[in-house]
Amino acid sequence: MNKNEFLTLLNTQLSQLPPEEKLELLEDYEAHFAFGKQNGKTEEEIVHELGDPHELAKEALGERFTSREPVYWYHDPSRRPEASAPPAPARRRRGATAQTFVIIGMFFINLVLAPLMLAFWTFAAAITIGAVACIASPVLLTMDMLYNEVSTAKWFASVFMVGIGILLALASKGLFRAVLISTQKYFSWNHQTAKGDA
Amino acid sequence: MDISIQFKKGALELCVLVLIHERDRYGYELAQSVSEHIEVAEGALYPLLRRLVNEGYCTTYLQESTGGPPRKYYKLTESGKAHMKKLITEWKQFVYSVSRLIERGPIL
Repeated sequence: MNKNEFLTLLNTQLSQLPPEEKLELLEDYEAHFAFGKQNGKTEEEIVHELGDPHELAKEALGERFTSREPVYWYHDPSRRPEASAPPAPARRRRGATAQTFVIIGMFFINLVLAPLMLAFWTFAAAITIGAVACIASPVLLTMDMLYNEVSTAKWFASVFMVGIGILLALASKGLFRAVLISTQKYFSWNHQTAKGDA
Repeated sequence: MDISIQFKKGALELCVLVLIHERDRYGYELAQSVSEHIEVAEGALYPLLRRLVNEGYCTTYLQESTGGPPRKYYKLTESGKAHMKKLITEWKQFVYSVSRLIERGPIL
């Protein structure tokens, strides 16, 4: 690489810099070449001493450069900066036949499990509705009182129902959480098994 | 990524400040002086010098040279001197701590 190639490359890499800043930096490098030549060096030698223009540009862009790749300023042509993250090793895929059978197998499993999940949700919903009804029973009893004769026993029963309702409401919270978690696990299990990375 | 690159990167700023503190120097001269002591990609010096100027640690002035472009000299400011002293203290403390840790270990 000669001086012009070096400066052209640097110029393109520094396009993010404000023009006057870029120009000043390029002038610095140009002067460096001039002084180097005065000392009897060839353009190639100077380019070698200066280092990789890509890395210099990163240094110059500083915080503007978003990659977290470490800055490179030690010049050794045999050493290249590594990519910031090594590529994930290719996952072993299962064959087409195996994949087909996995899908068929999962179809049957889901045929049973999906309604079961639905049943769990319905159960949680039923408990919640029961809790609401229990807690609301004094209100309902008051409405009943408007139209019918209400015995004292009903009031006692209503108070008892409120107690039950509060307990059910607490239980329904845990129940909903349990059902939600198991549904999430069920979906992710499905997803992973279908993709074959489980 | 060689870890020594990171060491040198951290040390370069300090070396440059000390060299400019000795006497005003221009870019090419600095590159040569630094290379005498540590192996660096000399090009990295210019972005560093720009930063030092932007942070107010250095000022620059031009001086004509015979048969070449004018030399851009770098001069350490007062805040640059203070910064250098702070870096030297930190550096010594750091080197001392690390050496003490290394010498305590059974490796060497």
